[in-house]
Amino acid sequence: MSEWMRVFRQGLSVENPLTVLMIGLCATLAVSTQFQNALFMGLAVIFVLTMSNVLVSLFRRVIPDQVRIPIFIVVIASFVTIVDLVMKAYVPSVYQVLGIWIPLIVVNCIILGRAEAFAYRNGVGLSIADGLGMGTGYWIVIALLAVIRELFGTGKIVWFESTLISLPAGYAPPSLLLLFPGAFFVFAFMIAGARLINERFEARKEGAA
Amino acid sequence: MSTVSQLALLFIGAALVNNILLTRFIGLCPFFGVSGNMETSVGMSLAVVFVMMMASSATWAVWEYVLAPLGVGEFLYIPAFILIIASLVQFVEMYLRKASPILYRAMGIYLPLITTNCAVLATATEAAKPGFFKMNIALGASLSLGEALIYTLGVSVGFGFALVTFAALRERLDLAPVSRLFKGSPIAFITAGLLSLAYVGMSGWFGL
Repeated sequence: MSEWMRVFRQGLSVENPLTVLMIGLCATLAVSTQFQNALFMGLAVIFVLTMSNVLVSLFRRVIPDQVRIPIFIVVIASFVTIVDLVMKAYVPSVYQVLGIWIPLIVVNCIILGRAEAFAYRNGVGLSIADGLGMGTGYWIVIALLAVIRELFGTGKIVWFESTLISLPAGYAPPSLLLLFPGAFFVFAFMIAGARLINERFEARKEGAA
Repeated sequence: MSTVSQLALLFIGAALVNNILLTRFIGLCPFFGVSGNMETSVGMSLAVVFVMMMASSATWAVWEYVLAPLGVGEFLYIPAFILIIASLVQFVEMYLRKASPILYRAMGIYLPLITTNCAVLATATEAAKPGFFKMNIALGASLSLGEALIYTLGVSVGFGFALVTFAALRERLDLAPVSRLFKGSPIAFITAGLLSLAYVGMSGWFGL
């Protein structure tokens, strides 16, 4: 169980796909203009990542080495199709904004990368931990990015047409944050912040030892 | 409707105004991955132009003659397109290795990487099944093969142009004094943001 937790926690911190490994950035930066969309994108990634990890790990002994990549891709593509159709049916307003990003989860490096680097070499239990951990790590970062951009870019956070939080009326939101360059700037500061936190953490660990 | 001026607008719109890297965020992995030096980014750009053109023609044909007539496109297009692209890239690699060693040396190592480049899948999907990007140009519900190819050429040239520009900036960045926390990737993101700002400035040109 402790091994399970260790793998799960790795995805959140030291191997966070976004701030540390820096893979799968395209969708992250693009959909993080709205908290609500970012949340659904994160859920889609967690689902596809965990399910494809489970399936790949179950069949890892029968998948021939030479054709493993196409097999992984087909597995991932099937789960992505499920997400694509479910979202289209139940949350059409979100689907309209996420649009092309749902099909593009297929080529999201995080998912293929975890199938290749983890699920293909480990048991089902650990693969679930890895999928959930990596997925949650992704979710946290994308949600945080979206909160910053939506709150300071529009002055409020909206959840299905009802306002959750809003800044005082005198606040004039800089629309730069919502535009494409804003994503790059905010994300750069987030990486620097993550580095600072990791550094402090290491220093404290050394001090305690 | 495919007058020359409309095709030219389609090309410019795809290459500059709606640049896939800097205004759509598609294909950022190679953008940050290979832009460390000039030579690799030129090789990558060439390979992307080449693969995108092949991929778009293939997906266009499969959509037009197989998926759409059979009525299974809506739920089979994701697996179908990605498999077409993956196997196509594999064949191109094998063929190039045999037929043209010079070309293979220039862009061979980038070909497998391109399979999982979202820019290729996105462009090939858009060419075959338009509607995702909302290109704001009177093109109708579907593109003809010629329009699809012009569109793809525009996207891939725009991709290469942005990649090479960014690589040139990053080479200079190595020499610049940067604060410890921002060294490496954070400063690269800020640079990309500034570059993207320049592209945002182009939105609205020619009513695109």
